[in-house]
Amino acid sequence: MKKGNAPILNSPVVPFDFEGCLAACAQGDRHALRALYDHEGGRLLGVARRIARDQASAEDIVHDAFVRIWTRAASFDPSRGSARGWVYSITRHLALNFVRDSRWEAGLDEIGSIEALTVPAQLDDLQLWSGSAKIYRCLEQLQPAPQRCILHAYVDGCSNAEIATLLGAPLGTVKAWIKRSLKALRECMA
Amino acid sequence: MKRSPNDGNTEDLDELAAEYVLGTLSGEQRTAMQGRLETEPALRAAVDAWEARLLELTSQVEPITPSHRLWARIERSLEQAQPARPQSTRWWQRLAVWQGLSAAGLAASLLLALALWATAPPVTTYMVVLVTPSGQSPGWVVQANDARMIELIPLGHDDVPDGMTLQFWTKGEQWRAPVSLGLVKPGAHYRVPMERLPALEPNQLFELTLEKEGGSPTGTPTGPVKFIGRAVKVI
Repeated sequence: MKKGNAPILNSPVVPFDFEGCLAACAQGDRHALRALYDHEGGRLLGVARRIARDQASAEDIVHDAFVRIWTRAASFDPSRGSARGWVYSITRHLALNFVRDSRWEAGLDEIGSIEALTVPAQLDDLQLWSGSAKIYRCLEQLQPAPQRCILHAYVDGCSNAEIATLLGAPLGTVKAWIKRSLKALRECMA
Repeated sequence: MKRSPNDGNTEDLDELAAEYVLGTLSGEQRTAMQGRLETEPALRAAVDAWEARLLELTSQVEPITPSHRLWARIERSLEQAQPARPQSTRWWQRLAVWQGLSAAGLAASLLLALALWATAPPVTTYMVVLVTPSGQSPGWVVQANDARMIELIPLGHDDVPDGMTLQFWTKGEQWRAPVSLGLVKPGAHYRVPMERLPALEPNQLFELTLEKEGGSPTGTPTGPVKFIGRAVKVI
């Protein structure tokens, strides 16, 4: 997998300047927004696609996210968090708003199809990525089922009920796992 | 202020913030949460902390190549978007707007100032003629009879599309952004108490923008400027 490659020796990876990019957007610099799109658009689309589950909706979400990034760049406050995090939060929350609104009526019938979509790769992915960031070390300390709850929620945008169906666990149990896991993660990340 | 059951309970607050960021809140809960985030700094700080904690989980996701159309779509939407950028050019800082107002606007304001001054009580101190940005035809007059009240007087009756409303704004030269003076019915007199604003000043900007019913959702103008003018001291 390409993403796992270590940086080649003596070729420093220049990190993308998210904060500078937002400052330029706030000044009306379209090139800055385009640079952000070229650099991060594919990853943001991936994030939106996992939550929205279809490409067309995901592109709608990324469209809305970039318009919002453009119009709100001046309100970005570095004391509240990283610029990269701000960009991802905007995209994720637009995607989550979309699925919570559009699946509101869908009920549980749809969940069978979600299962086929999201379950298989999860645990392998976790193995693959463990150790790359602190959150993964903390996640590893959870039991497998609560671990999957967190990932299905955050990465796949699953509701509590959807996770319960996916894991074949009672809804109350899933809710309790999530609450406990979040507390454990907070302590571990401190 | 209404107190919610979570007030004063940091543990509950943090749990709510965590579940919001994780994504497991319902649509209704998310809407309520997004409203609260506007006004509750403690909740916002808890959410910010959770965003930072969980952010790296996004590296689980494989990037996808966007379709060729996506950037073009974004670019088209930027044309219509109103960037909120305090340090850069906004409509009230744009030279063209003021050039459009110059000759005809000034002439109209002087004529009207004289005409109205002849009949108005002598305490009038400021006068503004609001003209259209392009056509330079006068549409409204703003009159300040004293420091406590300004009056918006229609010169004609222009229609507003269904579902839209006119919103009245003012901005002094040193103010960072315009302040809303309220929603205005086309063709109707409108009086605004000024006690919550600084005293009127020469060149103070007044304008009417077209906004969705209920007014601008952001607290600053979002719709097109329909009428615009600056305060002139009447000696």
